[in-house]
Amino acid sequence: CPSVYSLDPLPMQGPELGVQADDIEAPDIEQEPKQEVLENKDVVVQRVHIDGLGRTKDDVLTYEIAGVFRAKNLIDVMRKSHEARQKLLRLGIFRKVEVVIDTSRGEDALPNGLDVTFEVTELRRMTGSYNTMVGNNEGSMVLGLKLPNVFGRAEKMTFQFSYGTKETSYGLSFFKPQPGHFERNISLNVYKVTGQFPWSSLRETDRGISTELSFPVWKTSQTLKWEGVWRELGCLARTASFAVREESGHSLKSSLSHSMVIDTRNSSILPRKGGLLKIHQELAGYTGGDASFLKEDFEIQLNKTLFWDSVLSASLWGGLLLPIGDKPTSIADRFYLGGPTSIRGFSMYSMGPQSEGDYLGGEGYWAGGLHLYTPLPFRPGRGGFGDLFRTHFFLNAGNLCNLNYGEGPKAHLKKLAECIRWSYGLGIVLRLGNIARLELNYCIPMGVQSGDRICDGVQFGAGIRFL
Amino acid sequence: YQPLKEDQILLSDCASSLAVQAYLRMCGLPVQVAYRANAEYMSPSGKIPFIHVGNQVVSELGPIVQFTKAKGHSLSDGLDDIQRAEMKAYMELVNNMLLTAELYIQWCDDATAAEISRPRYSSPYSWPLSNILAYQKQWEVRRKMNAIGWGGKTLEQVYEDVSQCCQALSQRLGTQPFFFNKQPTELDALVFGHLFTILTTRLTSTELAERIKSYSNLLSFCRRIEQTYFEDKTS
Repeated sequence: CPSVYSLDPLPMQGPELGVQADDIEAPDIEQEPKQEVLENKDVVVQRVHIDGLGRTKDDVLTYEIAGVFRAKNLIDVMRKSHEARQKLLRLGIFRKVEVVIDTSRGEDALPNGLDVTFEVTELRRMTGSYNTMVGNNEGSMVLGLKLPNVFGRAEKMTFQFSYGTKETSYGLSFFKPQPGHFERNISLNVYKVTGQFPWSSLRETDRGISTELSFPVWKTSQTLKWEGVWRELGCLARTASFAVREESGHSLKSSLSHSMVIDTRNSSILPRKGGLLKIHQELAGYTGGDASFLKEDFEIQLNKTLFWDSVLSASLWGGLLLPIGDKPTSIADRFYLGGPTSIRGFSMYSMGPQSEGDYLGGEGYWAGGLHLYTPLPFRPGRGGFGDLFRTHFFLNAGNLCNLNYGEGPKAHLKKLAECIRWSYGLGIVLRLGNIARLELNYCIPMGVQSGDRICDGVQFGAGIRFL
Repeated sequence: YQPLKEDQILLSDCASSLAVQAYLRMCGLPVQVAYRANAEYMSPSGKIPFIHVGNQVVSELGPIVQFTKAKGHSLSDGLDDIQRAEMKAYMELVNNMLLTAELYIQWCDDATAAEISRPRYSSPYSWPLSNILAYQKQWEVRRKMNAIGWGGKTLEQVYEDVSQCCQALSQRLGTQPFFFNKQPTELDALVFGHLFTILTTRLTSTELAERIKSYSNLLSFCRRIEQTYFEDKTS
């Protein structure tokens, strides 16, 4: 709770107002009559300065703090300063930002003038970090090196090395936001990623460069990306099927992709309300390279809170891969389905076209899920640890197949609609921070087609993106 | 399975491939040749050629011979132990001399490498991957050459080695139709594969082919095998 000293209207000795920005919302004023004076008092913000800048350039910051000048009364000043402080922190270049509001001093000080000072501490030039990461059913150790604010305008350069249960990779990336419009940014990445996929007996090594441009348009966030990847595929074992062996070798993919995201959920893990729409398309081959295709995929999720603190969530995923030209599609570009993060009850990515036990992926798929999340029965640990858990009842369905592009779209829809795999069950979900979730489910798969591998009974899953 | 015939395949791979084809035809087994740009990567050992039978994949002449023997087809059953040992020795000679010479000429000789080997090797891929892969292969072969001591040899020395090898083969063949009696063996297939390919492949200089042509019995040997087993093939 801040202690707010009364602001003497006479410009003699204004005591300093050190405020912790998080608690600005409801200023705690001691005396009633004074409160009215303060709120109704018109003030003019005469000066806003930022102390403690080292290598940060001024022009970046003027945009963030411009709002403060427009404040008309004290409460407004405090609110706008709070917003400006959030914006400055969002740039990711300051470790700490404190706001000091004071009366104006000096020759041109107005009787109701205010000076607002942001006292900032810049981040060190280079920081190292060590994290453990949970991706989709794998864990990894990540060593990172970050250089925030490299050239003074909130550019960020990061180097990451990650050693995981399935993948080893390293990457270098450079990120630059547009001054004044943080949501518009550009980033450049160089990376090498190795992956092992035992469900297809495939090993993949990608070395690539990509550049990405993000900008908001109305309520959506759009991203344009160009990527050039040198892909090397190999067999994971001597017993790999011939179909996978045929895909071994090198290829170069140069693709342009665009994605649009509208996210109105209140949280990305276990949201209580709102929806998500994500549409992504990728066109490869027109900017060089060997791979040539058009890939579309979308993700929709809707959430609604029902009675008794339970949430109903429906999601739908789908995708299509269209080869351009007469080369067949590569196993590295196709879609995979199945596993604790998509259709529960089936083994990881073990659905659809396969050859001798190796799953080859499909060119078209859809998957849908319906969940009912409720708090744990009897609500143990309510208000604390127990809130991180939820029970859920789910129904998942989906299909994955290769499409014969000689036939029309009606034939494709028919093909995707026959032999649907589906499953239902219940389980417990644990929320990890704001990024990941763990699930322990009891699943009953149905509609299993020959060749699919199932995991009925108890299944454990960890990841970021769940159906 | 072998790399693309028209554009991609290189001398050494073509020779090995032809040797395997000859061997299989000599055994009387039906052979179908499939061309893939990524044949080298598909092969379990990384070497061409390889055969795909049922759900088995076997690469290189040695293992293929073993494989067919296990299935009951063999060309060297009629040989006694001494002859078999001799055959193995000659096959080693061919592998160590001819194959290595072919690799040397392809990759260590700058003129050949730049004009023929690199462009052909990288033809299925687009820039810049083509350059990366071609140079990678070149460095790999040169490293191997250095490791076995051929790095310091000059082209002339390599030609001399090839000549000597051919002389040994020519002496062994003499006037017989095949190396061992009247029956062809895997040695015949191997020698045919290499010599025929050298004679019929265009290189920056015809020196290598000329050296082989100077041994007339080897020439007629090649022609004979070609006529007997590859009648449908045009030379």
